Amino acid sequence: MTTSTATRPPRARSVSRGGHPFARYALRRVITSLLLVVGVTLVTFILTNLVPGDPVAAALGQRAAEDPAIVAQFQSEYGLDKPLVVQYFTYLGNLLHGDLGTSTTTHNAVTSDLSSALPATLEIAIGAIVLSVIIGVVLGTVAAYRRGKASDHVLRVVSLAGLSVPTFWLALVLYYVFYFKLHIAPGSGRLSSDFNAPPTITGLYTVDALLAGQLDTFLDAAAHLFLPVLVLTLYTVGLLTRFVRTAVLEILDQDYVRAARAKGLPTRTVIWSYVLRGASIPILTVVGLAFGSLLSGTVLVESIFAWPGIGSYAYQAASHLDLPGVMGVGLLIGVMYLLVNLIVDLLYGVIDPRVRLAS
Amino acid sequence: MAFSTRNSSTTTKHTAKRVAIGAAAIALTLVVAGCSSGKASSTDGASKTLTIDKAFDLKTADPGRMYEPTGQLVDKALYETLLTFKGGDVSKVVDGVASLDESSDAKTFTLTLNGTHTFSDGTEMTADDVVFSLQRVIGLKGNPSFLLAGVTVTKKDAKTVVLTTKTATPALPSILANPALGILNSKVVKANGGATDSSDTAEKYLNAHSAGSGPYVLDSLNLSSKVVLTANKKYDGEQPGYGRVVIQNVEGATQKINVQGGSADVALDLSGTQAAGLGSSVDVTSDPSANVIFLLLNQSSKVSKITSNPDFVKAVKEAIDFDDLVSIAGTGTAQAAGVVPSMFLGALGEGDALKQDLAASKSDLAKSGYNGEKITLNFPSDITLNGIEFPTIAQRLQSQLKTAGITVDLAPAPVATELDAYRNGTETVGLWYWGPDYPDPSDYLVFTPGNVVGLRAGWAAGADPAISKLADAAAVGGSNDERQTQFEDLQKALNDDGPFIPLLQPGNNIAAASDVTGVVYNAVWTIDIAALRSK
Repeated sequence: MTTSTATRPPRARSVSRGGHPFARYALRRVITSLLLVVGVTLVTFILTNLVPGDPVAAALGQRAAEDPAIVAQFQSEYGLDKPLVVQYFTYLGNLLHGDLGTSTTTHNAVTSDLSSALPATLEIAIGAIVLSVIIGVVLGTVAAYRRGKASDHVLRVVSLAGLSVPTFWLALVLYYVFYFKLHIAPGSGRLSSDFNAPPTITGLYTVDALLAGQLDTFLDAAAHLFLPVLVLTLYTVGLLTRFVRTAVLEILDQDYVRAARAKGLPTRTVIWSYVLRGASIPILTVVGLAFGSLLSGTVLVESIFAWPGIGSYAYQAASHLDLPGVMGVGLLIGVMYLLVNLIVDLLYGVIDPRVRLAS
Repeated sequence: MAFSTRNSSTTTKHTAKRVAIGAAAIALTLVVAGCSSGKASSTDGASKTLTIDKAFDLKTADPGRMYEPTGQLVDKALYETLLTFKGGDVSKVVDGVASLDESSDAKTFTLTLNGTHTFSDGTEMTADDVVFSLQRVIGLKGNPSFLLAGVTVTKKDAKTVVLTTKTATPALPSILANPALGILNSKVVKANGGATDSSDTAEKYLNAHSAGSGPYVLDSLNLSSKVVLTANKKYDGEQPGYGRVVIQNVEGATQKINVQGGSADVALDLSGTQAAGLGSSVDVTSDPSANVIFLLLNQSSKVSKITSNPDFVKAVKEAIDFDDLVSIAGTGTAQAAGVVPSMFLGALGEGDALKQDLAASKSDLAKSGYNGEKITLNFPSDITLNGIEFPTIAQRLQSQLKTAGITVDLAPAPVATELDAYRNGTETVGLWYWGPDYPDPSDYLVFTPGNVVGLRAGWAAGADPAISKLADAAAVGGSNDERQTQFEDLQKALNDDGPFIPLLQPGNNIAAASDVTGVVYNAVWTIDIAALRSK
C-alpha cells in the first residue's frame, strides 16, 4: 500500500506533462531520427560530391564525352550544370516528394531501382538475422553457462572463426562445395533460369510465389536463399555468440539470478525469465547493429551469388560515379540504420520501464 | 477433482493442437491443389532455355542509347542492321537487311533494302523505318551518336536510303554493322514516345519490349540481374536454336562454377586462368580480344622532361619483356603488334611487333641522360579486362623496367578518378586500354599527333609531321589492300617513333557446355546468340 502511494505522484506528473511516458519517449526518438535523416542527406551529398572524378566522363563513352553538345545535354538532364548548393536544395525538395533523382547508369528513377533491389537484400538479411539470433543466443548462453569448460572454448573458437573468415572466400568455397560438388544447392541468382519471377507484390520471391500460388517457384526461390543466408548467418552468428556470452556472463553474477537458483527454480526458468531477460537490452542492441550491417554489407556475398540486391546496386553506382544512385543508396542505408535503431530504442522502452520513465 | 480438471485441460490442448494441424494440412492441400507453375519453358527442342552468364555493364536495351558490350550482345539478338559481319570476321562487312553501293570517294553510301523484312509485330520494314532509326541515334545525343557524326540520312524511295558525309568516311560500312544502329519499327516506337531529338521518351518502352526484326524479342529486362529473350516467330531468317534465352548478371568466378555445374550453358567472362582446367563437359573458345592494352609516355616537356625524350621512349620499348606479359595474362592473350587489333583490317603481323632488347635499352637509356629519377606510372586499379587485372600488369612492368635500370613508382587509382588525368593528358606514364568503337582501323587514327589519344600523351598536332602525313593518307581510304598497306605503314612508324607501346590483346575466353554449338567470338557483339544450337 505504501509502495503504491509512493509511486503514484510521478505517474500523475508524467501524464500532466503531456501523455503517456512511452508515447513521449517514442515521439522524442522519432523526431531525433527525422533530424538525423536530414543530416544523413547532407553528409551523403557532400561526401558524394567530394569524390574526385567527373561523373560525366564516367557515364558517357569515350567518344560521347568528347562532344560538347552531348556533355551539355547530359549535364542539363541531371542538373549537374547548377551550383552545388542549388543541387542540394533541389535534391531536398525532390526528396520531400519521394523523388531521389534519376540514375545516370540505369536511366531509371533511383526510387524504382532501390525498390527492386531492396527486397532481394531484405530476403537474405531477414533469413540470416532470424537464424543468427536463434543460433547465436543459444550458443552464447551455453558458452556462458559452461564458462571455462571445453564446450565454451570450442564455441569461442568457432565464433571467432565465423568472424574472421572473409565472407567472399567463404561464399565461393560453400558455393563450390554445396552446388558443384554435392549438388544440394542450386546455382546462383534468385531463381533458376527456367523460372519467371512471380508477380511482384512484396518483392520477396518466396512470399510472392506463395501469394501467387506458385509452389514450384516458392521452393526454387527458397532453395536459392540457402547459401547466401548460410554465409551471412555464419558471420553474424560469430558476432552474436560472443556478445551474448559476455552479456549472459554479466547477468549470471547478479544477486537476483543467484537468488533464483538458490530458490531451486528449474534452469530453463532461470535462463528464460531471469538471465536472458536481463541480458536482452545489450543483445537487442547488437542484433540491431548486426541487421543494419547485413543490409549494407552484403556487396561481396551478392556478387558471388549473383544476387541483385542493394550491395550490387551500390557497387554498380559507385563504380560508374552515378551520383544519384550513390546518394540514394547512402540515404537508404542511413535511414535503415536509423529505423532499426529507432525500433531497438522503442523496444528498450517496452522491455525496461526504467528507460521510458527516465525519458 | 483436481486431477480430473488437469486431465480435461490436457485433452482440450491436444484437441486444439490436432485441429490446428488438421487446418494447416487442409490449407496446404488447398494451396498445392490451387498452385500454378512458375516454370517458363520445357527442356527439349526449340523451346529449351539457354542460360548465358555475363558480367553486366548494361545500361539500356534502347539501341539509340546503348553502347556497352552487354547491350551489343542483347541488341544483336533483337535488332537487325543494314550491314553486318559474318561469324567472327570483322574485317569485311556483308549485307544485313540492305545491300551497299559505296561511292569511290567514300562520301555517298546508297543502301537498298533487300527482300522483305518484317518486324516482330508483322509490319514490313521500309526506308522510313531506316531513316527514323538512324536519325534518332543522331538526334538523341546519346553514347552511340558519335557513330553517325557528320552523316546525313535521306530517303530515296520506299526501299532505298542514302547516307552522305562531307569528308571521306571509309569506316561507315563497318559502323553500320553496330547493333546500336539496329532498325526500329518506327510506328511502334513513335507511338511510345519515340522521336528523332532529345524529346524522345521511348527508352522505357524499349527496355520492356523490343521493336525490331531480329531473331529474338525481349521478354523481360532487369538492368542489374537478368535479360530474358524469346524467339521471334516472325523472323525472316532461320529460327534460332533456343526458344528462350536467359542472360544473367554473374561475376567471373561464379560463372566458372556455374558452367561446370550446369546451371549456365555459356560463360562469357572467364579469365585465362579460369578458362584453364575446365572439365570435359565444357568447351572453351579462346581468342585475342579486340581490346588493346598500351603504355603511353607523355611527350609534353611540361609534364615530364624524361618521358618526352625520344631516347628514353626507345629505351622503355626495348626494356619490356612482352612474352612474359603474355604468359601472366593467360589463355587466349596475344602480344599487340600495333594499336590496331589483329582481327581488323590494317593490323600488323606478329613479325612487326616490338621486341625486348635489353642491351639496346641500356644504350638508349644512357643516351637519354636518365639518372635514375623515379617515373610515375598511373593506372586504373579497379579495371579487370578479360580477366587481366591492371595492377598485375603494372607491377610486372615495374619489375621489368627496374631490370633495365628505370625506376618506376606505381600510382594506382580507381578508374572513375584516374580518368580525368588520362583524358586531360597529365599522366607521365599511363597504362590504359582502347576498346574499339567500331571495327575499322580508322578508329585508331586517334593515336596520332593532335588527335584524342595523341593529346592524352601530350603529343600535339605537328609534333611528328611524318606520322601525321601517314595518318592523313590512311584517313582518306581506298581499296581494302590500299588501306591495309596504309595502316601497316602508320603503325610501323608509331612503333618506331610514337609515344605508345602496344602491350597486349587480352584473351577472350568463352566457355560453353559441350552440347552447345556455334560459339564464335565476334569483336563487336561477343557472340551471336541466334547462331547457337543444341546438339
